Amino acid sequence: MNRVAVVGAGNTAFKARHMDKTFPRLAYEAVRDCLEDAGASPGDVESAVYGIYNDFFEHCAMPDHHVHYLLGLARRPAVRVTTGGATGGYAVRAAFAEVASGLHDVVLVVGVEKVADVSNVFEMVKSITFAADPFFEAHYHGSPAGSYGGAILWHMENYGTTEEDMARVVVKNKGNARNNPDAQSPMELTVEDVLASPTVIYPLKILDHCLNSEGAAAILLAGEEAAGRFARDPVWITGIGASTESGRQAERDDPGSSLFPAVRRSAVAAYAMAGIEDPRSAVKVAEVYDAFSGVEICLYEEFGLCGWGEGARFLREGSASMGGSNPVNPSGGLIGGEHAIGATGVYQVAEVARQVRGVAGARQVPGADIGIAQSMGGARGAYSVTVVLEG
Amino acid sequence: MPDEIDPRLEPIREKEGAALMPDRWKVDYLASMGELSRFYIELKENARLMGTRCPACGSVYFWPRSWCHDCYVDCEWVEMPPRGTITIFGRVDISLSEMRTEVPFYQGGVLLEGARYPVIAILKPADPAVLRAGLPVQAEFLPPEERTGRTRDFYFVPEE
Ligand SMILES: [Zn+2]
Repeated sequence: MNRVAVVGAGNTAFKARHMDKTFPRLAYEAVRDCLEDAGASPGDVESAVYGIYNDFFEHCAMPDHHVHYLLGLARRPAVRVTTGGATGGYAVRAAFAEVASGLHDVVLVVGVEKVADVSNVFEMVKSITFAADPFFEAHYHGSPAGSYGGAILWHMENYGTTEEDMARVVVKNKGNARNNPDAQSPMELTVEDVLASPTVIYPLKILDHCLNSEGAAAILLAGEEAAGRFARDPVWITGIGASTESGRQAERDDPGSSLFPAVRRSAVAAYAMAGIEDPRSAVKVAEVYDAFSGVEICLYEEFGLCGWGEGARFLREGSASMGGSNPVNPSGGLIGGEHAIGATGVYQVAEVARQVRGVAGARQVPGADIGIAQSMGGARGAYSVTVVLEG
Repeated sequence: MPDEIDPRLEPIREKEGAALMPDRWKVDYLASMGELSRFYIELKENARLMGTRCPACGSVYFWPRSWCHDCYVDCEWVEMPPRGTITIFGRVDISLSEMRTEVPFYQGGVLLEGARYPVIAILKPADPAVLRAGLPVQAEFLPPEERTGRTRDFYFVPEE
């Protein structure tokens, strides 16, 4: 298997609404900046992978081929990936496979989403719930929050995690977003502010939810030989793990202590590939899928940054904060930074690549030589991808 | 709303210098439930919960599945007891769904007696304070004239 490097990264700012830009334009701006970052031109791109989650957002059943053509990449191979919230992560994995296998030397990954073209939040949530099992569970017209709420409740009941702990995640991530000029929702909040926001599904309040964002992210991957052609020092993808779980959230076989078994398996596989034995000491920075505040607490455990049931303590002690032992979501994550769904997994890899290069600006984690990016999607994290990046 | 204007006939609107194009995707279905049809027919006509059983490993599936994903053999229909236990539950305070379901309501995982997996179902406890994992529950059904053959036709209440 060939070594695979990230040689360029770019993204738009993330906003609730990009009124003045279409989704192909958002994709173009991310790609333009990515190629400039790499010192590459469109002619260097041999193949492209698109992460675009939901046909309903773009009101187009094949949005990728319109973007591909407008990017000037027609006649070169392209494929679209859509795996819910893990769309961007799985797009990176598909591109990784093209380069690692030797099929192509230089592959572009583009994630884009324009959610607010859907006319209101009810229509948006409706379009997301179209992912439910159509034979039984879709009849309930449930909300995506319900699929995560149960896991968080279990964590509260069994480990004593509190609503205050979850609020601390929100305070941290909205606060981190203040260091990220591309973030959608930088805020200076208190735990009390979060607790006072309206409940959607107990115990999840409005401020515990991830953002809905419009925006795009792009990265350029190259094999070891080709990487030398580009301007940037390569950041190597040394581990990539992926897994799946039942699309029906209640049907899980023997998950053990794991509340997000697909995440756990994706992390274990990525660590094994990268030769990471002790993630607490190895992983210096992490961009993970904080779809809801309480989920991030569970993820500390799934990633082995602390033991089972220790997530809340890990957070309270400041280990996940900037300046802590394992800063999580310096960009602001999905709660403070962005959640332009198809773009998220690509943006996370771009962010960690910047951290490993030492060019992450005010959100730079000093000495971040190894970092992880992780995204998940489907009912309660039914898809997950974990990527390990090293300088 | 029969007199609603189709957005695809509406003129553009202008906001912040951008043209906003009204659009709609609307696709109606008449979806064959195929090999699973008996589940919906028994539910609507007879208020019965039908599951399936794998003849090889004995796993009982509710929701029914027509083949066992472990053994790769066809399952046979079995009638499920309308009783089970709660595995997990939650309270919904703001319904974001198209149905604008009356809130708050409760939903959760229910493991029917003998079933391999729980299902997500509607919970209608008279007193929500009694809800807990492990609570025995029984199925109740909407009256025949209200049943549509969908999983919303039944819900669970604490066992008497
Ligand atoms: Zn079987």
